[in-house]
Amino acid sequence: MGDVIKSFRPYVAWANARGGWPDMIFSTRVRFARNLQGFPFPNRAEPRQLEEIRRLALAAVKETGIFQRGHFLKMEALRQQEKRFLVERHLVSHALASAVLPAAAVVSGDEDLSVMINEEDHLRLHCLSAGFAIEEAFRSALALDEALGRALPFAYSPRFGFLAACPTNTGTGIRVSCLAHLPALSRLGRMPQVLENLSRLGVTARGIYGEGTYVLGDFYQISNATCLGRSEEDFCQNIDRVIRNLIRQEISAREELLKGGLKLRTEDVVYRALGLLKNARTLSYEEFMQNISLVRMGAAMGWRMGLDFSTFNQVTLLMQPAQIQAAAGRELNPAGRDAFRAESVRGKLA
Amino acid sequence: MFCEECRKNKAVVFLKLAVNNKVREMHLCPACAARKGMGFGLEAGAFNISEIVGNMSGYFKDFLPQERKTLRCRACGLKYSEFKERGLLGCPDCYSSFEPQLTELMDRIHGASQHCGRVYSGGPSPKLSRAETTRRLEELRAALKEAVEKEDFETAARLRDAMRGLEGRHG
Repeated sequence: MGDVIKSFRPYVAWANARGGWPDMIFSTRVRFARNLQGFPFPNRAEPRQLEEIRRLALAAVKETGIFQRGHFLKMEALRQQEKRFLVERHLVSHALASAVLPAAAVVSGDEDLSVMINEEDHLRLHCLSAGFAIEEAFRSALALDEALGRALPFAYSPRFGFLAACPTNTGTGIRVSCLAHLPALSRLGRMPQVLENLSRLGVTARGIYGEGTYVLGDFYQISNATCLGRSEEDFCQNIDRVIRNLIRQEISAREELLKGGLKLRTEDVVYRALGLLKNARTLSYEEFMQNISLVRMGAAMGWRMGLDFSTFNQVTLLMQPAQIQAAAGRELNPAGRDAFRAESVRGKLA
Repeated sequence: MFCEECRKNKAVVFLKLAVNNKVREMHLCPACAARKGMGFGLEAGAFNISEIVGNMSGYFKDFLPQERKTLRCRACGLKYSEFKERGLLGCPDCYSSFEPQLTELMDRIHGASQHCGRVYSGGPSPKLSRAETTRRLEELRAALKEAVEKEDFETAARLRDAMRGLEGRHG
């Protein structure tokens, strides 16, 4: 097991349930896309320029003093297993993990702040907060952005704002997203309609790990699709409104699932899922996610499922393949992981 | 290029449609575009042909006029046509090199093309490594030589200033 993995805590600090609707809103993230003036974007830079950008960026990140107990990680020095671990913890993207050129990630000790260096842009700054906390995540990400902007020359034009490799990220460079658990809307088959309505509001939905990933366990990453022409606060407020609206829709969908003949059916699927998780001897991550999603919904409906929402959040993250291996302290084959996962889940639900 | 539908008339309408997450491109003549337009939910008889064609080429402006095929970024040399293929720009200067084109594109992506967020007053010049300073000096020296040969003394003076600035900068 890699030393990098050992240097991380066995739980995820930003995943504790808190704020309004902790059963529905898992976490909030705010990111800024930034680039350095005077260098080509990563897709067009030569390896030695990327080295230079990384050196400058790492020095500037250190200079801010924000990451004093942080992890400074050069991507090429990491093993596959370690990269996977970071992706699962939502600290780096798939794109950064699979980068072959000089790239790096800096992660704060609490795993709430992170900087990706030489992903699609020179810098991607993130703040992750537990629960529904747009304002808080925005303030922290902005403080990091301003500190780095004083240490490095960002590419900026008064016309287009902060310049990014892809024009979709140019302007404020902000992306505000909430990871929402919407099992009732999914069960009622309403998600296609909901997603279509969202796209009209300048909002997109993605899978649990962000861009290009699939939906697992009814978790949707909801974020702004545009980031130019309005203030950073406006983009935050728009997502805030959209999320509140989604919450209302999910609440009424849950009420529908408890009406008349549907109630028995809902209880049946939730308790079957609980039974499966309590008794299975092997459990793939997909199967775990499908069932924990139902059990989580059961808990939100006020039924006794034996877990609080913080624990739901933690297990949702910690049952992922690389986290399982980290917990086991050794490399496991898929069958070994599935057995270890089933045992851990049984332990939690006992 | 001929119309993909009738294969007789010249294609003048370039249509890019996203259907079930798949992007489909079509090159059509005005008559076929009008027929297709009805198929895509525009009411029959609601528009005459020229209106539909005008409307569509306004909506789906995804063709590249000749001048955009040869357009290049002054700084990194990226062709505008390469950008259209890959969706990524090459460097911050691409934004000034392609400003009119990007203004139009920004309007389509974001519904706006003027930044209204935080104003950035600039950061310090970075302490470049010796290798990067040397590389940049070499680039400037080559550009200076070219400017002198062309007797473009204004550019030459600007480049000389840039070189002087760089020489005092590596840390």
